[in-house]
Amino acid sequence: MGEQTKTSALTGFLAVLYYEFLWNLRKKKIVGLFILVFIIVTLELALPPILDYVNGVTLTPDPNSVTDFFSVNGIFLFLIAVATTMNTISGEFETGSITPLLTKPVSKNTVFWGKIVASFLTLLGIYAFLTIYVTVGAVVIEGTQNNLQLVPLGLIGLTLATMVWASVVIILGTISKNSLVAALGSFGVYIGITIVAAVLGTVYGQTSILFYAPGGGATASTTLCERGVGTTFSTGTDNLGYLLIQLVLNPNTVLNFCGVRISPGGRGEGVQLFTSSSDAMSTVALRALGVSLAYTAVLLLVSWYAFRRSQIIESS
Amino acid sequence: MVVDTPVIQTESLTKSYGSRVAVNRLSLTVEAKQVHGFLGPNGAGKTTTIKMLVGLLRPDSGSLKILGMNAAGDKPKIRERIGYMPELPKFPKHLTGEELLDVYGRMYNIPRETRKQRIPELLKMVGLAERGKDRIGKYSKGMQQRIGIAQALINDPELVILDEPSIGLDPVGMVEVRDMVKGIVKGGQTVFFSSHLLAEVQQVCDHVTIINNGNMLFTGTLEEVSQKAGPNRRLVIEVQKPSDAILQALKALPFATVDSSNSTYTLTLKTKDDVRADVSRAVSGAGGVILRMEEQGGGLEDAFMNLVGKEAQ
Ligand SMILES: Nc1ncnc2c1ncn2[C@@H]1O[C@H](COP(=O)(O)OP(=O)(O)OP(=O)(O)O)[C@@H](O)[C@H]1O
Ligand SMILES: [Mg+2]
Repeated sequence: MGEQTKTSALTGFLAVLYYEFLWNLRKKKIVGLFILVFIIVTLELALPPILDYVNGVTLTPDPNSVTDFFSVNGIFLFLIAVATTMNTISGEFETGSITPLLTKPVSKNTVFWGKIVASFLTLLGIYAFLTIYVTVGAVVIEGTQNNLQLVPLGLIGLTLATMVWASVVIILGTISKNSLVAALGSFGVYIGITIVAAVLGTVYGQTSILFYAPGGGATASTTLCERGVGTTFSTGTDNLGYLLIQLVLNPNTVLNFCGVRISPGGRGEGVQLFTSSSDAMSTVALRALGVSLAYTAVLLLVSWYAFRRSQIIESS
Repeated sequence: MVVDTPVIQTESLTKSYGSRVAVNRLSLTVEAKQVHGFLGPNGAGKTTTIKMLVGLLRPDSGSLKILGMNAAGDKPKIRERIGYMPELPKFPKHLTGEELLDVYGRMYNIPRETRKQRIPELLKMVGLAERGKDRIGKYSKGMQQRIGIAQALINDPELVILDEPSIGLDPVGMVEVRDMVKGIVKGGQTVFFSSHLLAEVQQVCDHVTIINNGNMLFTGTLEEVSQKAGPNRRLVIEVQKPSDAILQALKALPFATVDSSNSTYTLTLKTKDDVRADVSRAVSGAGGVILRMEEQGGGLEDAFMNLVGKEAQ
């Protein structure tokens, strides 16, 4: 005993990471999450061929089913974000374990960023597990798959997309110090944004405001809007994994965003679609990346500030 | 002897919650190697003071130095050298006792070998040797207090700050905690611990600071405080068969006045010394058998009454 060891920033950081993984991975919630995600993905993989079989359609192998997997629904990302991060900071305040933690020789900055990095790595881990499962499953069910080398890029995109929602959960949790407020509040934010985006989309079409909203964002069409809608997909932060893959595969594909025009008293439907703007895939994908990173950075910086300011006044 | 800088030194330290002043211009000095009791009733401001010492709360005003360094705010370099046990500590429930000490040890950058050796020692010291592999969620309140003491010592700190280490423990547990504190003291560390029990402080401390309503009422050595508490100290004894001989023998004692009722005698002491042996000898000399002997008064209450009374004047 008695040797005086100095704590460097790095060892403190690694200790916080270890602390996070040690207690996060024990939580039933995380294990439950793994199982849930596993079931959903299994259904997603197995259902189309089963339906085809039931309907008597001959199985046509889909060589893109792995790359298409990265185009997942936002609610799925949101739920994973909530489950991984709703307790990370607020939970420490709720249980009172923040008190012994913050009196160890790790700075508040180290604790905060350690927790953020641990959340990021947890998400990456969950998605890596999923991706491997999907890849193996797709090769077995659908046969040879194209562009498997782009899978890691999709994985990063999926994780960054989820970090947007995770940051919403974290900022609410840090400010309220309450996990329930973090979970329900961020759900409110998610629903709110989704509804507002849907309303905007109906009234104004895919306006440029939607390019900068988190979540589903604007819907792009590969054909000109006037000619009826061809292949469409979401270009928001939620779809970042798919967009990054497309960035490499089809950077020059032109994407069209449809505006809505209501023709006064005209014949027919009264609602007309027109191409309000067009962008190259590369622009769209990089914009989604920038928007994701910007939301994540701003929300996390504000949370960091709130965390640094917080005092531990709760009587335990 | 080198003149050391004080281990804890606060100057006019003040903290309010809204309009309630919890700690009011507290100037506290704890010298190296002192075992310093921090005494006060519920709501006196003990926890608030301690939370400022360890950086959990920012002082509103006043200065605060620990080990000679400015300690207000988030100061990991200082925390490296102190050990702190929060009041009714709460630890992550999913970890076992061993894991908790291990992960906290990593935060202090204690090498693996040292951790491996120290963790079982600490668990043994706090009486949790058998329970180190159990999750903290399964620990009783008293066991959580014990792991709290162990984690405060993981870094072999120069200063140990304990916030009511024996609160919520049964009498046996309280005695054990007292022994643990005495054990820490033998290691030559400075100990600062809060309590609302003078008896506890008396048994382990050499210095004491008394606080009430955020104001410091007294700070000094234990002798000085017991002088203030002195006049009200009583010794109550119960004997098997009361007799005139016993009463006479007790009345003959020079340091006390005696009242008797049934089989109980109450001696009001005029001395600060421990006279239990003399009393016991007097009773058995008169052919009596003592069933129970208990010291009353001289507790925080009495010291308080004195101090608060003086404050009011
Ligand atoms: N979180 C808080 N919000 C508002 N007031 C508080 C808070 N914590 C403590 N106080 C007030 O500050 C004063 C001092 O409280 P503190 O917890 O420091 O006392 P204490 O001496 O530790 O008491 P105890 O022996 O009960 O632990 C009390 O009047 C208390 O009501
Ligand atoms: Mg207290």
